[in-house]
Amino acid sequence: MADDTTHLELTVDKFTFRFPRDLHYSEAGLWMRQEGSLVRLGLSDFAQQRNGDIAFANLVPAGTTLNFGDEVASIETVKVDISLPSPVKGIILEVNSAIQEAPELINQDPYGRGWIAFVQPEGLERPLFGVLDAEAYVALVREQAETELKS
Amino acid sequence: MTQRNVWIVPCSGIGKTYGSVARESAFIVTEDLRPDKTRIMALSRLVPDDSDVRPDIRQADSITIDGCKLACAAKVVAETGGNVAYALQVLDVYRAHRELRPAGIAELNEGGKRLAAVLAEKVAALVDSMEEKHDA
Repeated sequence: MADDTTHLELTVDKFTFRFPRDLHYSEAGLWMRQEGSLVRLGLSDFAQQRNGDIAFANLVPAGTTLNFGDEVASIETVKVDISLPSPVKGIILEVNSAIQEAPELINQDPYGRGWIAFVQPEGLERPLFGVLDAEAYVALVREQAETELKS
Repeated sequence: MTQRNVWIVPCSGIGKTYGSVARESAFIVTEDLRPDKTRIMALSRLVPDDSDVRPDIRQADSITIDGCKLACAAKVVAETGGNVAYALQVLDVYRAHRELRPAGIAELNEGGKRLAAVLAEKVAALVDSMEEKHDA
């Protein structure tokens, strides 16, 4: 595992995944960035590479109230259809309409232009559910990636 | 292969639905739509260093049809000295025709077959436009 001050990097076989240190991650592969009192969500580099090129992204509209585990978006890739469960309880303030027009942004820039939703979490003291820090997520990813390589 | 013919070079990804769509569309173009203007090139034949078809790929323009963002067809043609006139991606065509969702590998589903047909029409139109430019 390589790293620098801002990212952790994991190489498994021919694949290399990057994980910003300042984000939190859900086991389902979503990243979360706390921005003041709000939380931005997106798909991790591992999740986007694992699932392949994204054909379509369907976003739950702004204004929707989310509970933990509610679908915040679904994506159709060249391999699978995936429902993405929210790791945040709160209200969707904004969705990234750009990825509906150009879902490849999630593949190209998963931590930047490919963000999915911006959420006002309910209760700031513990707005995130079942989330991992970058190091814990990398350990999980390594286990999942190595298991898949053996199968 | 004359200067005015066009190579159609599809993805060689075996076991991939989008690769199958790419190859199916290439067959439709070269066998049904524009048999007298196009020829198919198997990507694997270009790969060996001592490939006997590399000189051929340099004799005419190519249209590559890739099944994923790795774009092996476009890269291999370019790296072996061919001219990629158009580099197409199956996914781009599917995004414009969401109702034609492809599935299956050895045997494409109906959506995959129809998507291949749509893609083949697009390639055929490009072949025609290349000929028109050449004649102009």
